[in-house]
Amino acid sequence: MTDVVLAMRGITKAFPGVRALDGVDLTVHKGEVHALLGENGAGKSTLMNILSGAFTDYGGSIEFAGGPANIHHPRDAQRLGIGMIHQELNLVPHLSIADNIFLGREPRTKRGTLDRALMHRSARELLANLGLDLSPSRPIRRCRLAEQQLIEVAKALSLDVRILVMDEPTSALADAEVARLFTIIRSLAADGVAVIYISHRLEELEQIADTVTVLRDGKQVGTQPMAQAQRAELIQLMVGRPIGEMFPRADDTADTGTPQLAVDGLNLAGDPLNGRTALHGIGLNVHKGEIVGLAGLMGAGRTEVLQSIFGVHPRHAVSGQFRIAGKRYSPTSPGHAIARGITMIAEDRKTESLVLGNTVQFNTTLSSLGRFVRWTGVSRRDERAEVRRLVTDLRIKTPSPATVVNNLSGGNQQKVVLAKCLLTQPAVLLMDEPTRGIDVGAKAEIYELMNQLAGQGVAILMVSSELPELLAMCDRIVVLCEGRVTGEFNRADATQERILEAAMARQAVLSSDGAT
Amino acid sequence: MSATTKTVMPQLIRNERWGRVLAVLGSLQGYIGLVLVVLFGIISKGNVFLDQTNLTNAVGAFASRGILAVGETLVILTAGIDLSVGSMLGLASMVAAMSLVQGGIPPLLILPICMAAGAGMGLVNGIGATSLRIQSFVMTLAMLSVFRGIDRQISNNVSVGTQPVNSDGKLTKHADQFQMYGTPGHNIFGSVYYPVLAFIVVVVVFQLILSRTRFGRHIYAVGGNETAARLSGVNINRTKIAVFVLAGLLAGFAGPIDAAYSASADPLAGQSYELDAIAAAVIGGTSLAGGRGSIVGTLVGALILTLLDNVLGLNSVSDNLQLIIKGLIVVAAVVLQRPDLFSSITAWFRGITRSARSKGGT
Repeated sequence: MTDVVLAMRGITKAFPGVRALDGVDLTVHKGEVHALLGENGAGKSTLMNILSGAFTDYGGSIEFAGGPANIHHPRDAQRLGIGMIHQELNLVPHLSIADNIFLGREPRTKRGTLDRALMHRSARELLANLGLDLSPSRPIRRCRLAEQQLIEVAKALSLDVRILVMDEPTSALADAEVARLFTIIRSLAADGVAVIYISHRLEELEQIADTVTVLRDGKQVGTQPMAQAQRAELIQLMVGRPIGEMFPRADDTADTGTPQLAVDGLNLAGDPLNGRTALHGIGLNVHKGEIVGLAGLMGAGRTEVLQSIFGVHPRHAVSGQFRIAGKRYSPTSPGHAIARGITMIAEDRKTESLVLGNTVQFNTTLSSLGRFVRWTGVSRRDERAEVRRLVTDLRIKTPSPATVVNNLSGGNQQKVVLAKCLLTQPAVLLMDEPTRGIDVGAKAEIYELMNQLAGQGVAILMVSSELPELLAMCDRIVVLCEGRVTGEFNRADATQERILEAAMARQAVLSSDGAT
Repeated sequence: MSATTKTVMPQLIRNERWGRVLAVLGSLQGYIGLVLVVLFGIISKGNVFLDQTNLTNAVGAFASRGILAVGETLVILTAGIDLSVGSMLGLASMVAAMSLVQGGIPPLLILPICMAAGAGMGLVNGIGATSLRIQSFVMTLAMLSVFRGIDRQISNNVSVGTQPVNSDGKLTKHADQFQMYGTPGHNIFGSVYYPVLAFIVVVVVFQLILSRTRFGRHIYAVGGNETAARLSGVNINRTKIAVFVLAGLLAGFAGPIDAAYSASADPLAGQSYELDAIAAAVIGGTSLAGGRGSIVGTLVGALILTLLDNVLGLNSVSDNLQLIIKGLIVVAAVVLQRPDLFSSITAWFRGITRSARSKGGT
């Protein structure tokens, strides 16, 4: 534990964007799991991008294994044995799993051609280590997000790394997959690899980390052994203010009249080519002012339920009865759904929700431009006023409404998505992993906002992979497994164990299949 | 929280101000090329170049291609491409000439006929690129061939003159009127050369459509992130079909101009115009990846292309050399438009000095 493998000293990075690093020190030992904690925009990713050579222009010094290291190119970092799993997945969708794992350093046969047999054998081994039963020749685009994340891990493991940086590796993983990943991290650490682990999930860090360094606004505000760290204390360090209650949802009973959203007998044809799970006879209700959670493991069909309601899937693939406030509704397209007062926050904000290269204002008003149309066209003055109001209300940290969304931190990007949805004045709000990859402070703000919306009578249906979040926020939780409803719990009866049990009722589902 | 906000804010404001200066500089980068071309013109052939007739001729000669470039820009903004604009223009100019000569249709009616024909062709492109899910490059490449074939078929491979004469040797009444569409030396309202006016009006109208209407926003959204646009309620297919129809409509609009300018509709008219249109859009800062660009930029790009032609011509540079220079201008313009050009150059310099220093150290 005493061998220092990496020492970053006084790292400074100026950015033309929103924030910078200011004299950050980081010391990592051999075989240590070092957690890096901080709100979005605190500078964690920036620091790690410097370490991996993605940013060439910074101040301060880096020492590697006792000697000075000159890291100014990703190649430099690779040569030193620094591997990085980025928050954004870096996989080529049309290439196979094996091709992706060995991209850029493909093994060759004596004749100089690709050694496919070796690639596939090694890939299969790496995947098996991670508990993935996938064919190495399957193209990435046919893998689910969680699988892709594990493939990234496999890719990093296939390198001979001495330092492995993992930026939010669990954000798309369900609990069982997280446990498997932790076993692997522990065995890596036992082999002497230093792991730098970035996550917003404090409970994970308690399980896996030895040491924790907290960043805030580009400054290092504390480093301490994880065993001595109190959760409340860490949160306070990150946020710079005490957070009394993470989950502020009060125990109020919602309206029980006609449901705002009623779904009955929803079937969806599966599409294995695009990784779409089939749904079988899903039924659920969401009342005015109620927050209903959808729980389940990866591939249970949670996202598909939201998408079917929102009209994302082709009409011929979806069947079932839908009612909005008692009136018949048939999902045809997202535009149609928005016109009927339904709006959705999609699972992946970067690829599905935002036009990243455009401004905060452009993105915020995209769904509700009709409100700003005057006879001279879209009134940019009204638009800017409305966006300013939302930026203040949702506390979006942005220099101005004309800032390009790509320059904001993840939490603030998510708030822009939320602002876009709110501007359509929805009666039904569908949220798919609304707090994925978001820091504690922004999470609390989003929870608060959800409560406010529910208080105003909006019906909310949310999907989350984090059970504590569902248990705290939802009035009711519907559990899915393999495209079927396998459980429904009221707030009072819901426990983590019961939900997990229902979520893993795969056997029961399969056997009832056999019976029919 | 408020304490941190206070310390962070001044820095943010400073960054914002600096960012604004950079943004203005960046937006001016695109005009550097135009300024250079104009300066070159003034220095080398000042009095001839700046002459109003010369400038009118230069812009007038390019007007039909400039109008095509506006439509092309719309399509490129949605991350598509239209290779058939040249063929559509050719067919439209043939329609114009044949309506005039064989149909005896008054010139004022010819314009809407050509525009309708162009819009129809654009609709075919749009349906192919959306409903049939053919990539727009492939669909419009196919239509480039189809429309040209139709053009040659209906004209029987013979060009149709737009200046038929009566038995007394004078132009017919319609043919005389038709000349106002751009036969050099013929103006409307006394002194306005129609092709130049038409080009400017098209630029203004479509710039306003892009920046001020819902449809314009949707174009940028579809090109910037199609999935996000769809999930935000934008009707993707309708937007895409609309831009192809507009590209066709504009090609139809430019048809009579081209026919009048050359005093005939050649079955090969408009060939390779699509390349000029794409070049103008790209020089003007429109990204082929979609979602970024503007019509004003395309105007600048078109002006660079045509004024460069003009200046080189005035300096009697050979045609072959002109082609080479034109190609290099495209490369230079695109490099100049990189928003991070200045910062990446400084970073590059710093990298060189650093590696030199570290080599000296060891």
